[in-house]
Amino acid sequence: MSGRIRKRTRKRILLTEPESLKYEIHGSIPGSVDAVKEQLNDIFSCCSDFIYREIMSGKDGQIRILVAYFNGFVDKRALNQDVVSPILKFLSETKLHEVSSIYERIRKSIVADNEITEVYEMQKAVDAIVSGEVILFTDGENRALAIGVKAPQGRQVEEPDTEISMRGPREGFVEDLLTNTTLIRKRIKNPNLKIEMMQIGRQTKTDVCICYIKGIANEEIVNEVRERLKKIDTDAILDTGIIEQYISDSRLSLFPTVGNTEKCDRLAGKLLEGRVAILCDGTSYVLTVPYLFVETIQTADDYYDHAYFATFMRLLRLVALLLSNMLPGMYVALVGFHHSVIPFRLMITLAASRQGVPFPPVAEAILMLLAFELMREAGVRMPRPIGQALSIVGAIVLGEASVAAGIASNLMVIIISITAICSFVVPSLVRASMLLRFVFLLAANFLGFLGIALVAVVVFAHLCRIRSFGIPYMAPFSPLTLPDLKDSFVMVPIWSMITRPGILRQEKSDGIKGTKRQEVSKGS
Amino acid sequence: MFRKEGKKTTIAVIPLMLVFSLLLTGCWSNRDLADINIVAGLGLDRTKDGKVKLTVQVVEPSAILSGSSSTNSIGGGQPKPVFVESFEGETVFEATVNMLSVVDKKMYLNTAQVLILGENLLMHENLEEVLDFFHRDHEPDYEMNILVAKGSTPEEILEIETDMDSIPAVYINETVENTILRGTVKKTMLIDLIKIMGSSGIQPAVGQVTKAGERKVKAEGTAVFRDGKLVGWLDPEETRGYLFATDKIKSAVISVTTDKSKLAMEIIRAKGKIKVDFENNEPSALIVEVKAEANIGEYRGKGTLGMPESLQVLKKTLEEEIKKEITAAMEKAQRVYSSDIFGFGEYLHKYHPEYWKGVENNWNDIFSDLPVFIRLDANIMRTGIIKSPAGGSG
Repeated sequence: MSGRIRKRTRKRILLTEPESLKYEIHGSIPGSVDAVKEQLNDIFSCCSDFIYREIMSGKDGQIRILVAYFNGFVDKRALNQDVVSPILKFLSETKLHEVSSIYERIRKSIVADNEITEVYEMQKAVDAIVSGEVILFTDGENRALAIGVKAPQGRQVEEPDTEISMRGPREGFVEDLLTNTTLIRKRIKNPNLKIEMMQIGRQTKTDVCICYIKGIANEEIVNEVRERLKKIDTDAILDTGIIEQYISDSRLSLFPTVGNTEKCDRLAGKLLEGRVAILCDGTSYVLTVPYLFVETIQTADDYYDHAYFATFMRLLRLVALLLSNMLPGMYVALVGFHHSVIPFRLMITLAASRQGVPFPPVAEAILMLLAFELMREAGVRMPRPIGQALSIVGAIVLGEASVAAGIASNLMVIIISITAICSFVVPSLVRASMLLRFVFLLAANFLGFLGIALVAVVVFAHLCRIRSFGIPYMAPFSPLTLPDLKDSFVMVPIWSMITRPGILRQEKSDGIKGTKRQEVSKGS
Repeated sequence: MFRKEGKKTTIAVIPLMLVFSLLLTGCWSNRDLADINIVAGLGLDRTKDGKVKLTVQVVEPSAILSGSSSTNSIGGGQPKPVFVESFEGETVFEATVNMLSVVDKKMYLNTAQVLILGENLLMHENLEEVLDFFHRDHEPDYEMNILVAKGSTPEEILEIETDMDSIPAVYINETVENTILRGTVKKTMLIDLIKIMGSSGIQPAVGQVTKAGERKVKAEGTAVFRDGKLVGWLDPEETRGYLFATDKIKSAVISVTTDKSKLAMEIIRAKGKIKVDFENNEPSALIVEVKAEANIGEYRGKGTLGMPESLQVLKKTLEEEIKKEITAAMEKAQRVYSSDIFGFGEYLHKYHPEYWKGVENNWNDIFSDLPVFIRLDANIMRTGIIKSPAGGSG
């Protein structure tokens, strides 16, 4: 069973880095505030946003407390209300040696904030400061308090731009990890929803979460995710996209074997199907694994409307996917090789549009495709107001002018437009089809439909070969998993989907009936 | 370790080389649509000195599109939608290739809608030899219609300019399709002829086309062949009789005149069957059985059609009428041309192979002498939405 999940044994060459890059601090927290101050000054030299404040309290002013934090991270009002004012208030009448431990007193009965942890090593304390917590050192103690009075960061929860839905919740993930986990918990109110935290990135120390529903998710996959995440050894995790590249099964494949989403309801759905999510602080994109081919044509909206429409749309997306890959190639094969399959009248139209065009169809197609890709890229990179102007220019240049000037045939413009439209229908494969399109095009130019068929065979063979976290990418079609076909290209109504995707569980207990669901999640 | 790496590279290189070997074909036979002449119609005739004269009708796509939208026209004047070019050669293939000395692009024959054969050519040369190129070469469409020109040369027919369609070949083809629905021309596709030529039990019969005025053609009647040579023609009524017998009628309108009225009967379904009666190991008679269903399309006369008796009378007259046409066709085929275009020979070949072996070579003569029995069963299904003429007393 474990053999189905491919183990990564590849060794990574460890980066050798200069001494100055490391900020490894050894040793425990020094007992005196002065020593702490000295060390902190050393560590956070040239950090203008680093702030520490020394509080002298007690009746004789001998209780020395140091509060250190990064400006901007911390909710100053909360800090003052919950930490500083109580200390000043409650300790003002206390003498230094009156109580056994000032530190214990502060920890247990003075600080009002709930998020308190104790740290013993300087390294941990520094880590806490850089991740936005307030550290409270007390003179004479070899430990410190880390208090989480973080100010709310980043933007509000809003609808993601990348995944627009006609129906269904509009909430999307944000950059703040805690907000994101809350958004998931809000949807799945169940203690079995596990959120495991780890830190990745030598320099960035980014918080990364593995999220899954215990009992539904396959333990083996969860373990595999954990393992693969632990193996990541890099400086920075700035986005889940970086994690995706490290953990995907076939790193060289054009096809994504790790999914991503910005929509909370979509993620909740995936979790409930038994998938594992990977959240990362600082990005609104959440990864889901295993990611299979059928998921590319599924959308969250599918489940919120009647299955007829979902099925129709899915088939349409499938057609669009095929067209976006093969249409230019098919056109080139038709006008270059297979004249006899074109109906007579259409042939006259085609020939008329080809007349006077100086380039062979393949060159014309490549030119137009490149023009389109350029425009798309420019449109993405440009600031939004300019992007609009660009699209007008593009439409005129690509559509009208190139035909009028005799550079391109008007049919080619139609072909490329249809290809472009189709390519946006399946967003997760936009990049894969962008490249494959050219492969199909060249093959068609050399060998006609035979070339297209050959490339298609290679592509499908590849699709059937790759896996995502041990699950065959083309499941449930190859290997054929009949019960899972209910939610593939054809979708059955939601009330008749009584089993969870069996292929994800790998065990023999594929058919978990709806009535047994609760038991299963309780049992494991 | 290194050896293993080396092996991996070799394995990776092999498929790569295989893929590249595909590219060695280059863009072989990749021909752009703009680099071919789209042939709409073909004509084949014989010159006085015995050469083959090939006529092609080539479409000018841009002229056709600009003709319909009247934009994008290049230069002054309306460009012609087609041009017709003829070239002579010893063989058809030679003519198609040598024609390139006067036209700009290679001929693309697959789009040809019709192949019109000259009367003169078919009287002198064998049909099989004439058509050899068209089924030897991969390019001509097996479904193109074949017609025999009567009274004018194929070139003259292809050169007509009609207002009904910008491409005359398409116009010709469409009139043929219309006439097929009237049951007065035989639709013959290249593939049909090839099949018939392979069998000795049936003689080819091909649709006929004539020029009907300056800008019109008429496709009616049938050209009858015997042993590959054109021997004569069937007129439209005989053609219909022939088609009734060979189960090729899709629909037809038959006029019936009785002493009191004139009627137009619309045949909606017809089933024809031919048989050969066999007695003492000898064929004794040719049997034609036809079942037909008709509606009354028009009735000019007095009285009502609602009564069963009057319908009985009409049914009889209809049967007589069809019978007359079949008899006429049989007469021509047997007495005048002595050519079994109906395929009675095939029936014998199928059911009496032993006998067939002996007579295969002089079947047409035996066929000519056999008596014919025609059995008809016509039914009148509907009389239209009125029972009697509107002015009639009912």
